[in-house]
Amino acid sequence: MIKKTFKIPDMTCSACAMKLESLEDALDGVKEVNASYHRLEMTIEYDDSMLTEEQVIAAVRKKGYTAIGA
Amino acid sequence: MTSKQKPAVDPVIIVMLGIVFLAIAFALLVFKPNDQSLGFDAGSGAWNQLLVAFVTGITTGGLSCLAVQGGLLASSLAHQIEQDYVEQSAHHKRGNRLPRSNSAFPIMLFLISKLGAYTLLGALLGWLGSYLTLSPMTRAMVMILVGVFMIGNALRMFNVHPIFRYFSIEPPKFITRYIRRTAKGTDTFTPLFLGALTVFIPCGVTQAMMATALGTGSAAMGAALMFAFVLGTSPVFFIIAYLTTELGARLEKFFMRFVAVVLLILGFVTLDGGLNVLGSPLSFQNLTRSLIPSNSTPAPVSESTQPESDSDTIVLNVNNDGYFPRTLNAPAGTAVTLNLVTNQTYSCARDFVIPALNYYELLPDTGTVQVGIPAQKAGSQLFFTCSMGMYTGVIVFQ
Repeated sequence: MIKKTFKIPDMTCSACAMKLESLEDALDGVKEVNASYHRLEMTIEYDDSMLTEEQVIAAVRKKGYTAIGA
Repeated sequence: MTSKQKPAVDPVIIVMLGIVFLAIAFALLVFKPNDQSLGFDAGSGAWNQLLVAFVTGITTGGLSCLAVQGGLLASSLAHQIEQDYVEQSAHHKRGNRLPRSNSAFPIMLFLISKLGAYTLLGALLGWLGSYLTLSPMTRAMVMILVGVFMIGNALRMFNVHPIFRYFSIEPPKFITRYIRRTAKGTDTFTPLFLGALTVFIPCGVTQAMMATALGTGSAAMGAALMFAFVLGTSPVFFIIAYLTTELGARLEKFFMRFVAVVLLILGFVTLDGGLNVLGSPLSFQNLTRSLIPSNSTPAPVSESTQPESDSDTIVLNVNNDGYFPRTLNAPAGTAVTLNLVTNQTYSCARDFVIPALNYYELLPDTGTVQVGIPAQKAGSQLFFTCSMGMYTGVIVFQ
């Protein structure tokens, strides 16, 4: 398991955080996603044998946001 | 269902137009001025407040709510709409067509449930507010806080500074996770349940309205206020929820700007009302009073229905549309009697407040109430207002 934090500069409200947290259900290998609109960041805990950072970034992009590795 | 799979006939549009007309008709019926059927203090001020709540809902609330709750609704409906479409396609191949009623039904369930839940929440907030609303000063503080909250949210939407992001309340993680996972269901219960759960994820405008409900200090008024607001949001919510699937997020930014502008205006109006109730000379109405000519400037008004004025007695007419004259002149250095005259007055102007004297009185709808004003220095001013800060005036001592 690995825990990574990404900056998400294009969140516009707390609903965006909820949208990003739905990655918990959308991506295999994700244990937990915590997104904060206040801090414009997302912390994701995932199994790095099943998922790569690039796949996480791509999944975030698919949700309509930009993930920048912190 | 994707936008490419758009069905030829769309009963949803008919249903949503029906809902718009029903909501407007219902609002006109329910929010008819001077109708006192609900039992609470149904002055036109209260009805105006409900009308403002409804208009706020129909103009900005629906869009703002949609930004927060729309995704959940869409995800809860997605499977059902898709399933409905598949069924319709199958029937279409066989040469007959099914009406697309299933897609509108869960949205309606969602909105009805949301309406009920927020009405109950409004009653709870109003009831809580009855313990908090100890005086007009408390109400003024609540109004100022609500105003600041609304302005902060508007500035957040305009992305003025990162600090304004803290005006957006983030629901606890366990709630959002629970709601998200519930939203995956496709049965009839799900939209009902989800609609009720939206009370835990209110948008900025809804939060402001909840704070206003708290400020009413009445369970009935709080419930009515939230009912009016959510009723207003419903048709917009319904239309946009549907159109969003068709138009995507192309118009979202435009809508959000519009919401922010309206929220900013409402925020300043609320803040100004709070300042009026505090008796602050810095409120917009008090600052601009000298610029706007006041009608019937001479203080005493003699009519057969009201007492005669003398040099130590001043008369203020308390009408449904405010106080007349709005600027009263009174002698300085001597105690003055202020006669407040009402004549079939049902508006919030009856809730008369002189903040500097800590005087508050709910005037009779028809009659005269005398207020003893102690001697004031020459050149001093006493501001008076209704308890909502809508109608104001000033006594100038010379």
